[in-house]
Amino acid sequence: MKRLILPLAVLVALALAFLPMVGSDTMVQFGINALLLATLAQSWNILGGFGGYVSFGNSVFYGLGTYGTAIAMTNYNLPFGVGLVIGVILAMIGAALVGLPILRLRGPYFAIATLGLNGAMMAIFSNLPIAGSNIGLVLPLARNDAMFYELALGLLVVCTLTVLWISRSRYGMGLIAIREDEDAAGVMGVNATLWKVSALVLASIFTAVAGGIHAYWSTFVDPASAFDSTLNVRMVIMCVFGGPGTVFGPVIGSFVLSAVYEVLAAQISTAAALLFGFVIVLAVVFMPRGLADVVKGGRAISWRYFIRNIRENRL
Amino acid sequence: MVLAQILLNGILLGGLYGLMALGMALVWGVLNIVNLSHGALIMLGGYTVYYLFTLAGIDPFVALPIAMVVMFAAGFALQWGLLNLVVRSKMLNTLLITFGLDVVLTFAAQLVFTADFRTINPSYAGANFPVLGLTVPVVRLAAFCVAVALAAGVWFLLNRMPLGRAIRATAQNLTAARLYGVNPRKLYAITFGIGAALAGAAGGLYGMISNLTPYMGASLTAKSFVIAIIGGLANPFNVILGGIFVGIAESLTALYIGPTYTDVISFGLLVVVLVVRPKRAVRAA
Repeated sequence: MKRLILPLAVLVALALAFLPMVGSDTMVQFGINALLLATLAQSWNILGGFGGYVSFGNSVFYGLGTYGTAIAMTNYNLPFGVGLVIGVILAMIGAALVGLPILRLRGPYFAIATLGLNGAMMAIFSNLPIAGSNIGLVLPLARNDAMFYELALGLLVVCTLTVLWISRSRYGMGLIAIREDEDAAGVMGVNATLWKVSALVLASIFTAVAGGIHAYWSTFVDPASAFDSTLNVRMVIMCVFGGPGTVFGPVIGSFVLSAVYEVLAAQISTAAALLFGFVIVLAVVFMPRGLADVVKGGRAISWRYFIRNIRENRL
Repeated sequence: MVLAQILLNGILLGGLYGLMALGMALVWGVLNIVNLSHGALIMLGGYTVYYLFTLAGIDPFVALPIAMVVMFAAGFALQWGLLNLVVRSKMLNTLLITFGLDVVLTFAAQLVFTADFRTINPSYAGANFPVLGLTVPVVRLAAFCVAVALAAGVWFLLNRMPLGRAIRATAQNLTAARLYGVNPRKLYAITFGIGAALAGAAGGLYGMISNLTPYMGASLTAKSFVIAIIGGLANPFNVILGGIFVGIAESLTALYIGPTYTDVISFGLLVVVLVVRPKRAVRAA
């Protein structure tokens, strides 16, 4: 099973790359959204899954990527690629600036400190004239969904490869050590602050590129869409549902949930968000280690697995 | 004069903020759950008072205790039926489950109550009286008094009543408390219920001063957290003082820098407090 996963993932990625040639327009558009969300979940996984630091503020880097790209393209007429780079640099600086003070906080303190980030950034950007204040920016039109699709797919592949490297490297071991016992990790020579901040910066890169791609694709940026707090909800849920701290869990989790969400949103719009909340509640109760743990080892899903999870954690 | 008025408004609002944080601090200190759905519970309390007032015609201040009973029952049920199942797992999981709960409550509220802004608007809502040249709004003063009274009630419960002793004992050492005959499942549910009831009272008062929307929860959760950290988890009156501190800081920001920046300030305050006093924050958890 374990040997099969990697070739299988390569096959799936190759098959997905051909989708724009055979699939319908709506399918490609759904694909772009699903791939970008999977990238967000996967990059959240770096610090949240491996490092055990739950961030509810990663959408800020998405917003910075969005605005970096948009400002470069509209105000300075720079090409898309340069815009992306500027967005990434902005997000990296943001991640370092935010990370250095608040990553010294542990557990719930860090999580809650990130809760306020999104609102604060939104307030700042809606007062910036260069970012179009409250009105927003309109980017040059590019009607090429296939290109955006391949870009998003490429980004997800690179992000997943990075996570694969993390899962097998000394760096990743350090992050896992921090998750399991930060004091012990420190004793073993892991510079926890450096590890955590670099994980956040790494996550911010992919998140920002996803934001930049989405900005150019949707051709319109405003504070409410760039700093969308429901994006945090979605990336956290998708990662946790799939399996935080695993390589393919977040991707599988976000594909499954994106599909479910798409079907539900077509039927009942507000109830889709409601269902998302239920998913996270049930996932924490029944499979605290994620979908990946359920699937791992080819174990047939039986109710005993879920009962055992509850028994481990109940009072 | 303007400054004095702003300070007064900040203090009165801050008392209410303190009440919001009180329930969170209690649950956090005793159950070791940072309840991210606390703001959503405040929101539900606000809507309960709103509908008791608009549909049943009950005066909001009379409806307040009713809403508290309703919210106590809701909180008790939540902890008993759901949160007790995960309370021993990692902090990450309790954070996530309350986060999920927050999403569920918020969007359920959006479905049931719609996204319209609501205000609890009794006939005396605009009443005020002058003191030493300052204007004192009646409703805000009453909200402040209720907040202080409830804090006193919590203090009395924790320090003078058998139930409070059991709660404090459980917070110190669950196993030892169990040996002395405390039923932790029930006690956890009661504590969470009290936290929810306090949130409900805060929501009702907040609805008279500001607007109710299904989405108000997230920012109030963050605010409650800041205040709980500033005030500490041990003494209810310190939590109220922490609330007053944040209330004053927000009012001054709105006056001197601009009202859109209040979110930035409360976030900045949070980071400053957490970074400057990490020792204390770590000890509290």
